Amino acid sequence: MEFIDYYKLLELDRSATKADIKKAYRRLARKYHPDLNPNDKDAQMRFQLINEAHEVLSDPEKRKKYDEYGKDWKHAEQFEEAKRQQTASGGGFGGGFGGGQSYSYSGSFDDDTFSDFFEQMFGGRARAEGAHRGRHFKGQDYNAELQLRLSDVFESRKHTLTVNGKNIRLTIPAGVENGQTIKIKGHGGPGVQGGPKGDLYITFNILNDTSFRREKENLYSTEEIDLTTAVLGGEIQVKTFDGRVKLKVKPGTQNGSKIKLSGKGFPKYKKPNQFGDLYVTYKIRIPQDLTEEQKKLFQQLQKTGL
Amino acid sequence: MNREDLITTEEICIRYKVEHQFVSSLFESGIIEIVKIEEVEYIPQEQLSEFEKMMRLHEDLDINMEGLEAISHLLRQINKLQKDNRRLRNRLGLYE
Repeated sequence: MEFIDYYKLLELDRSATKADIKKAYRRLARKYHPDLNPNDKDAQMRFQLINEAHEVLSDPEKRKKYDEYGKDWKHAEQFEEAKRQQTASGGGFGGGFGGGQSYSYSGSFDDDTFSDFFEQMFGGRARAEGAHRGRHFKGQDYNAELQLRLSDVFESRKHTLTVNGKNIRLTIPAGVENGQTIKIKGHGGPGVQGGPKGDLYITFNILNDTSFRREKENLYSTEEIDLTTAVLGGEIQVKTFDGRVKLKVKPGTQNGSKIKLSGKGFPKYKKPNQFGDLYVTYKIRIPQDLTEEQKKLFQQLQKTGL
Repeated sequence: MNREDLITTEEICIRYKVEHQFVSSLFESGIIEIVKIEEVEYIPQEQLSEFEKMMRLHEDLDINMEGLEAISHLLRQINKLQKDNRRLRNRLGLYE
């Protein structure tokens, strides 16, 4: 754990007045405020340190302690004790602080938002005593995009996402739409000042890997039928999203006419067992490359005035 | 919109200790949405995080309404650019 120079952090010298501190804090906070730097972890960390520096330097008591012990904060208690003893015996204090240990400052804030340096020097309670920093901040919201195929979202399925190195397993409900964003509560960045974690927002980018066109929960498709079936009627097999169904074609079906297959569309989002409809447009196939016999038959039909 | 998804502006003012004028100004600037039902003003729950964000910026950084309006606009642009950037990176990943 290393000494943190709060003056340097706020770009101030040691003679800075309360007004200078406030001004410097405001200037830097405007630069690194988490709300102004979405998805920027570095800015968030800088902001926490700036807050910490402000917390200490704007409080006369904390500033005094910080100024007095500075780098030797860890031995402040020993120093106080030694000073008391020296005063009692009338001698001068010649100790020094030794400090043979080496510390490393992790720079990680995670759920606790003050640095280890701060915690050690001012104790955990100090955070609640801060005049300005009484309020908790919700952690940074994370945004992620998940690319799926249309066929992947026909049924609810479990997916594993890696967000900031953490694996999150979640069930994507059937029927999510392209461009839709869902919120996963508490899977964002750590809170500031003990505030709650941020949320994770996942936006779906759904690629259509099928021949169906989707509009919300309804599906649209085109089905080719041959001329004779269109004229005389008959039975065909129509492709739906989850298989084929038999369908009766009315005699005299026109090209471009549409039929609705109720409940054969896409699942409705978060409405289990509810589906949209499938709209099928008939495209009548006009025969080409007729045999001589077929040609003659058509000519006969023509003569009937058809 | 369901009533359960709405919070009265009165409740917001009490809970967040802000003047009603602040909420109205955010609405007039187009930063948040306000729904009026039978003369009662409500804020949709989904707008709450935007409201909180603006409140923090106003209180922590002393940013006035004009500043909040500009910030809100720029943050939307940043969001959109970050989204586009992610989408393009994802697409690029398919070819790498």
